[in-house]
Amino acid sequence: MPLAIEKFLHTERLPHIWCPGCGIGIVVSAFLRVAIDLGYERENTVVVSGIGCSSRACNYIDMGTVHSIHGRALAVATGIKMARPKFNVVVFMGDGDGAAIGGNHLIHACRRNIDLTCIVLNNQVYGMTGGQLSPTMAIGDKATTATHGNVERPFDLCRLVEAAGATFVARGTAANIRQTEMFIKKGLQHPGFAFIEAVLPCPTEYGRRQGMKNVVKMLDDEKARSVTKLKAAAMSPDELYGKIVTGVLHEEKNVPEFQRTYAESAHALTRAATEKAPIPEEEK
Amino acid sequence: MVNCHAMEQWHSHLLRERVDQSSLVIQGNRACALGALDAGVRFFAGYPISPSSEIMEAMAYELPRSTGVFVQMEDEIASIMACIGAALTGEVAMTATSGPGFSLMQEGIGYAIMVEAPIVIVNVMRVGPSTGRPTAPSQGDVMQARWGTHGDHPAIVLAASNVADMYRLTMAAVRFAQRFRSPVILLADQLVGQMRESFSPELVGRYRLTSGDFDFTPTYIRPDLAREVRNPHVLGEGVHPHVTGLYHDETGFPTNDPEMSDEFLRELYNKVAHHRSELCLYDVKNEGKGRVCIVAYGSCARTARAAWKLADEEGLPVEVLHLYTLFPLPVEIVQQVARRVEFMIIPELNLGQYAHEVRKMAEQWTTVIGMNKIDGTLFTPREVLDRIAELIGKYESV
Repeated sequence: MPLAIEKFLHTERLPHIWCPGCGIGIVVSAFLRVAIDLGYERENTVVVSGIGCSSRACNYIDMGTVHSIHGRALAVATGIKMARPKFNVVVFMGDGDGAAIGGNHLIHACRRNIDLTCIVLNNQVYGMTGGQLSPTMAIGDKATTATHGNVERPFDLCRLVEAAGATFVARGTAANIRQTEMFIKKGLQHPGFAFIEAVLPCPTEYGRRQGMKNVVKMLDDEKARSVTKLKAAAMSPDELYGKIVTGVLHEEKNVPEFQRTYAESAHALTRAATEKAPIPEEEK
Repeated sequence: MVNCHAMEQWHSHLLRERVDQSSLVIQGNRACALGALDAGVRFFAGYPISPSSEIMEAMAYELPRSTGVFVQMEDEIASIMACIGAALTGEVAMTATSGPGFSLMQEGIGYAIMVEAPIVIVNVMRVGPSTGRPTAPSQGDVMQARWGTHGDHPAIVLAASNVADMYRLTMAAVRFAQRFRSPVILLADQLVGQMRESFSPELVGRYRLTSGDFDFTPTYIRPDLAREVRNPHVLGEGVHPHVTGLYHDETGFPTNDPEMSDEFLRELYNKVAHHRSELCLYDVKNEGKGRVCIVAYGSCARTARAAWKLADEEGLPVEVLHLYTLFPLPVEIVQQVARRVEFMIIPELNLGQYAHEVRKMAEQWTTVIGMNKIDGTLFTPREVLDRIAELIGKYESV
């Protein structure tokens, strides 16, 4: 029996390019289950991505899919959403794609609170280019461009986007995919900018350089490091070091959403323009 | 302020009421915005930059009032990518910028070419690399407009020389973008963008050029023509395509097959190359009567036209070839003129970027001489004429 998610998959394009043990497919499947659950139609759902391992998700999803350029997925998505407000627009980004080269677009999409759902597949490494240092990589981690150990502080993406104005912020892991799936669902239903960070394993380019020989170890490590938002609240910064804080970390309702605010203001202008008295003769 | 008000009056009338329209004094950048609106542009994303910001300001004023979308993005990269996003849904999208912003847009331009997104990019050129002199004109971005984005790619580049051009060539750019499903670059410069000239909307419909008459009536914009060139893939509208900047086959999905890759890029190239006669707009003055031809575009074409009038009075045999389309190269007309003149002189506000292209096309038949200025000032007609007189004298003394 075919899987339900095959409805939204280009099965003829499988097998996919991801390595054995990669966590991206786990999250993409979760998204597709939610899309079926929410009754999405492929004709009015657009998935936008940038460049990188995560962005190749667009290759297999049978919806309107835009595989754009590195870091610019959110800008493309903004154009699509503003031009076609009725579309469900979902953005898949990687950590390097979204937080390094695309960091500016990320914070501004948050600031506008545009009704997009942004799923960042955070594997803490540049996988497609061969394992370079990523902006979410922990201090001390090894990468091909940090052979002596990373000396840069990592981003806490959820805190970043919350500060930038995102109105729904959640973090989950591939290890606990049911929970992440629930966050994706909430994010898709959220009328504003929803940000979901999914922490996932990259055994090929990340794990093996940190001495984790297989993906089972990596998933176990993810589980061991995960703490809920509630637990985290009672922990000191030292105790929280290296932990993955999961949960819906921030949610705000009744914040003006960009597209709707624009449309309302434009509608008022159009009305005013049509009702405007004719211009007096002498001004012509 | 006065012009802004005039624009508001005129444009509002143009869109909503048919009224008798008298001539206006209007700024080039505003005329560009009007042309865009009249051509059906309903999406504009941009980032402020001198000397192009007035285009964006006019769009910010007009689009929300006429069911369009205006977004001020966080940078020029975001601007062009948002335009591409809108274009993929079937909207006609435009952005405007100047040199530094144009540099930032280059990767996006390549993506638009690959995914065949119809967008218009207006580059109101300033002088110099980097920040240069933001309030002085130049034509320094000509080769960047052609070759700025990486890889072999086709390019459609137009150049405006006056306020009416800003209106009409913006319309032409929109039409070409839709028909060829390609980004179209309209080059203007600080002078053309920020100068004010009288501009009669009544004359808009009639645009007589040597290359053929241009009809700017509402039927001018016909998206259905695009299908003749290549199948558009529009998001929504009952389809759910895959769009990618990777080499792809006709299904839209990536391919690494050498044969398919070759076919794909050549097809992109040829859809522009094979329609050169349609894309190349030009005007010849004093056709067939000159020993010397001034080849000019943009603000230098103004100098060229004035020089021709002056030459006429002084009895110098001068022709003018005014190019509105820089790329694809107007090979036929340049070679035709080259066959009959002794010199081609090309005044440019750069160090000979286009003269080099003309030389490649014409040197078999004639001598191509560049005149260059990069100090942020224009050529005077007298300077050009003096150079012509000098060349003719030199030629005769041999």
